[in-house]
Amino acid sequence: MANEEAIKAELTGKFPFLADKIVIKRERRLFADVPQDRFREVFEHAARKMDFVHLCIITGLDDGDNLLFIYHMAKLDGTVLNLKTTAPKSNPAIKTITDIFPGGVIYERELVDLLGAKVEGLPPGKRYPLPDDWPPNQYPLRKDWKPEMLEGKDGRKEEVKNG
Amino acid sequence: MAKVTIPIGPQHPALKEPECFIVTLDGERISHLDMRLGYNHRGIEKACEARTYVQDVYLIERVCGICSHSHSTCFVQAVEEIAGLQIPPRATYIRTLIAELERVHSHLLWLGVAGHEIGFDTLLMYTWRDREAVMDIFAALTGNRVNYGMNTLGGVRRDFTKEQLAEVLKVIDICEERTKYYIEVCTQEPTVINRLSGIGHLSHDDAMRLGTVGPTGRASAVDKDVRRDDPYLAYKDLSFKVILDNHNDVFGRAVVRVLELMESYKLIREIIAKMPDGPVTVKAPRKIPAGEAFSRYEAPRGEDSHYIRANGTDKPERVRVRAPTMANLQSVAKMLEDNNLADVPIAIAAIDPCFSCTDRMIGIRTGKGTGNSIRWDDLRNYGVKWYRKQGIDFTDLNRKLAKKQE
Amino acid sequence: MSLLSKMVTWARIKSPWIIHFNTGACNACDIEIVASLTPRFDIERFGILLKGTPRHADVLVCSGPVTRQIRERLIRVYEQMPEPKFVVAVGTCSCSGGVFQGCYNVKGGIDTVIPVSAYIPGCPASPAAIIDGVAKLLGSLQGKKPGEKADIEAIVPKPLEAEMANNG
Repeated sequence: MANEEAIKAELTGKFPFLADKIVIKRERRLFADVPQDRFREVFEHAARKMDFVHLCIITGLDDGDNLLFIYHMAKLDGTVLNLKTTAPKSNPAIKTITDIFPGGVIYERELVDLLGAKVEGLPPGKRYPLPDDWPPNQYPLRKDWKPEMLEGKDGRKEEVKNG
Repeated sequence: MAKVTIPIGPQHPALKEPECFIVTLDGERISHLDMRLGYNHRGIEKACEARTYVQDVYLIERVCGICSHSHSTCFVQAVEEIAGLQIPPRATYIRTLIAELERVHSHLLWLGVAGHEIGFDTLLMYTWRDREAVMDIFAALTGNRVNYGMNTLGGVRRDFTKEQLAEVLKVIDICEERTKYYIEVCTQEPTVINRLSGIGHLSHDDAMRLGTVGPTGRASAVDKDVRRDDPYLAYKDLSFKVILDNHNDVFGRAVVRVLELMESYKLIREIIAKMPDGPVTVKAPRKIPAGEAFSRYEAPRGEDSHYIRANGTDKPERVRVRAPTMANLQSVAKMLEDNNLADVPIAIAAIDPCFSCTDRMIGIRTGKGTGNSIRWDDLRNYGVKWYRKQGIDFTDLNRKLAKKQE
Repeated sequence: MSLLSKMVTWARIKSPWIIHFNTGACNACDIEIVASLTPRFDIERFGILLKGTPRHADVLVCSGPVTRQIRERLIRVYEQMPEPKFVVAVGTCSCSGGVFQGCYNVKGGIDTVIPVSAYIPGCPASPAAIIDGVAKLLGSLQGKKPGEKADIEAIVPKPLEAEMANNG
């Protein structure tokens, strides 16, 4: 797996704090844990200097005391680099990457709506995907949120019945 | 230049309807497009966490009814990778066969929809009639016309006989003949070329920057196709061309899709010829060991990606789904810049969005912030009439295609 | 029934106008509804026409479970239809929420929001089932027992060329 080893070597060479944080799962799949304060640099280097020109998606998930964010980046030859970073739930602040990948704005909005992340530098715009009348401070993808928590918050209760 | 309001609205102007696309006009040209999405947000990712992996296969299939096999295969691939399952070769080939048949039905569907959006309704009738032959094949092979339920963890749920596969080949022969005619129509009829050229322009650089995938991207020479770049299923052993075009517009998107149909027919023949014998499933564990996987799939609309994290139980920890339309919607705003209002329906249809996105309200805004709403159907009719005034009329072409019998 | 309402009922049975509305579906049912218009199934030979606006429609054909965002709009569309009006829930999701039951953002089937006259199950409901369901709904208008189909005269379509030649 020469290709994957070369990618790992370049990342570790440029960012020594990533040594033993990079795992080659199989051909064309690398996973790396990046500390939040150095995330931007690593991400930018991968996107601009290592040909990871395609952002497939950003996954956010509830990881106990933290929120975990995974940025899935791909090269045109099919190699996917999955960069993971965390932010504590007490202050789930991350920086936007929409200056590098404008198409990523919709994934960042999802992180805000569904997990309660705070994305610094996110361009203004309508929320996605939750409706405008969604109650505040309810983040569906957090593990402690249950659909029952929405009960009784509907507003318009009466139904239209035809005579 | 003064900005103008379009006072079109079949609903009562006082009612605030939630709009999907909000178009700001400068005269007749579009200066800005905004999107308000989320109507189809059903909370599937959360629901997946409360269901077992097997139940999730059926739920994920219904993320989108047109490329249901794409989503379910992308999902099971990821789970099988985490569990370290090696599925039998015959199962791989069966999944690939269904995948390519799905591409055929989806592109034929798109051709009909595109025809409908520009007023070329005979094309809709003819392509959907051809599509019915493919739907019959699906019903015969899998038991359902849509949402085939072929996948299970560890393989596929049904096997095919030699007779069934021979039937598939017969249908493909007929479809290929008819598709050749559609290629002629799309690439040589002046009315079609004039109507579709120059609309929804998206440069190669913008397409790359905005993460455009699938035929929409390939029409702007974005050389991405997961089947070739990140091979999955049986694609390593199959030969096919990735269709690229550099028109950068709706015309290019049509050309890419009809040529992809021809490639799919070839692929289907190759898959059937090479299909190995053997079992179609291996036993899969109920509890999937802790781990994670990122799976990609080239759905008819483009790259579909799923991320799954397993935690050792029979329910997933996290299922993340990104359908191709979501990636392509980002480029719609750029595409429609400086187009005419009349171009909105076909430009949006050309990225092949899920149908439900097109059954929405479109909001028209002016610089003063006031505006009105227009239904998609009314905007389509407006577009057809507008182009008729410019001399692009499909009446003759409709007649000509109708004359050409079986 | 008065003479006027008999005439209105006759007119509606002869040519019901339908509006199709997607309330958050996966599109499979929507495609099957549109497929029922194509030559293979050809719902138009029963005089059933797909209209764009609720103001002229007799029958509201819904697909999909009702999501939070779409709920208000569904009610609006229903309110804009003139009386008498009928609602057909196409597909298991419209009938009961289907596979999305229990998902946040999904309220349930169509009948949690507006009254439904006919339920057509299926995932998706096939075009044959859709035509069958609509025919049974029209049957109820003719005073038939529930589940009996209407007596509908099929309109034999003239060959397309002949029609084009006639219309010039």
